[in-house]
Amino acid sequence: MSDRVIVLTQARLAIKVALRTPRTIIFTVAFPLVFLVLFNSIFVNGGDNSTTLPNDIKISAQAYFTAGIIAYAVALSTFTTLAVSLTTQRENGQLKRYRGTPMPPWTFIAAQMARATVQALFMTALLLAVGAIAYGVPIPSSTFPAFVLYVVLGTATLCSLGIALSAFTPNADAASTIAPFTVVMLAFFSGIWIPVDQLPQWLETVGKIFPLYHLALGLQTTLSPNATGSGLDAENVLILAIWAIAGARIASRRFRWEPQTARA
Amino acid sequence: MGNVPRVSETAISVSGLRKSYGEHEAVRGVDFEVAAGEVFGFLGPNGAGKTTTIEILEGYRERSGGEVSVFGVDPGKPTRAWRNRVGLVLQECELDPLWTVREAISLFACFYEKPRPVEETIELVGLGDKRDARVGTLSGGQKRRADVAIGIVGDPDLIFLDEPTTGFDPTARRDAWNMIEGLKALGKTVFLTTHYMDEAQHLADRVAILRDGKIVAQGRTEELGESLGRRTVIGFALNGGLGVEDVRTRVSAPLTIAGNAVEIETDQPQQDLYRLLGLAEERGAALDDLEVRRPNLEDIFLELTREEPK
Repeated sequence: MSDRVIVLTQARLAIKVALRTPRTIIFTVAFPLVFLVLFNSIFVNGGDNSTTLPNDIKISAQAYFTAGIIAYAVALSTFTTLAVSLTTQRENGQLKRYRGTPMPPWTFIAAQMARATVQALFMTALLLAVGAIAYGVPIPSSTFPAFVLYVVLGTATLCSLGIALSAFTPNADAASTIAPFTVVMLAFFSGIWIPVDQLPQWLETVGKIFPLYHLALGLQTTLSPNATGSGLDAENVLILAIWAIAGARIASRRFRWEPQTARA
Repeated sequence: MGNVPRVSETAISVSGLRKSYGEHEAVRGVDFEVAAGEVFGFLGPNGAGKTTTIEILEGYRERSGGEVSVFGVDPGKPTRAWRNRVGLVLQECELDPLWTVREAISLFACFYEKPRPVEETIELVGLGDKRDARVGTLSGGQKRRADVAIGIVGDPDLIFLDEPTTGFDPTARRDAWNMIEGLKALGKTVFLTTHYMDEAQHLADRVAILRDGKIVAQGRTEELGESLGRRTVIGFALNGGLGVEDVRTRVSAPLTIAGNAVEIETDQPQQDLYRLLGLAEERGAALDDLEVRRPNLEDIFLELTREEPK
């Protein structure tokens, strides 16, 4: 059948499988939602609870945590789930089986990315809605296009890195330990759990190397009514794009369809 | 269903095939041909090089030497059009346990140019009442049927069946045999590996037996024994009415005696049987446990693949 049908069929089935996996629902849907509620309940108290972003823009604590947790949820939906599911499918021989059919390899990757993107967009909408309704997070219309652009760019970058990581994780256990751990650690470095202005300088310096920092900062900036212009920042966009390209290059060179661990 | 290969077409042609893994040579010069429309049994003990050979034919593995052609295409450079003509049933089940049977088969169907109807394929492999069950809840035999379904849903001209009935109960095995015979009736070529010699004997038009990376025998299944000089065996038990010497003088072939069981290994089974029955009739004796065994594939296989003591 046509390549479009092949991509859609695979993507639909991948979404169904994700919905049938309790781990996906708990770790990538419920966790960010719980974090959003917890952070807004614990760290936001009356009075002036605004914080200042590294680009000197002031933002309310509610908007700050909501934007950060959206970045975290995007990373779980894309980077983590792709690394785990691609490794699992490779090691149980599914990928090898696909290679024995006329399916063009790119359609498989496109479908997996489509599944991750649907999940990332769903989580973004859900968290933003909860943030806006329950915690009064503003959605400034002047910077909203940039907010969407950051979500899309962050999704692409973290998809490409998740696929790249799957080439190095020998089995599903390794992938489902390394990927979420990496995201949690980088979330610390990116000021998602603790505001950047309260982090030691060196931690922020290290965090700035990685894409999650720039995704979080981009989302936080564009959810602040104090942002000027479109809210887009060349440095954030550039670093996300560099990581996206690096991930894609590594993935295209190192991606394997055959199980790496010999089976009995 | 269109695309039925011409009778004269060669489906698979292999000559001088070699494959080494480092120092170890797994396949050491293998030659055979499979005609389109034929069921070809590829037999051999574990470690003989069967899987390596099949994986080369399926386009999964590179060869170290020799020529291989499957429908005129080098499987080392598989094309999409070629993949449309070749269906695979690999040795292990690799379907996602969270898919339903129907989802799995629909998924694989969409990869092909002109797939078989999904529901029809489900019925064909006998999973009709499991179509909405998750793959993870199926028994071993049912999973194997699902594997077969995804192998044939693309309506390929050539199907590789790698141990398709492992874990089947006798009824399921019969069903599978009927299905494979059905594929043959449609003009499909079937490349079959199995550890069950009765299965190969029943299904295969021709067989090749592989040992230590080389083919040690090949030919038409029913003629393989004769061509290797194996004889038919007539067996029976003496029960007093007949003496061993009476029998010995009457038949053309030597006797093997164990207790009162006698076996005659003969080139002329019809003549010797006639004489033996005549003798029994003359003496008014009964031949207990009378049987005539043609050289069977299992005997030949065991003899050809037995490890010599070192």
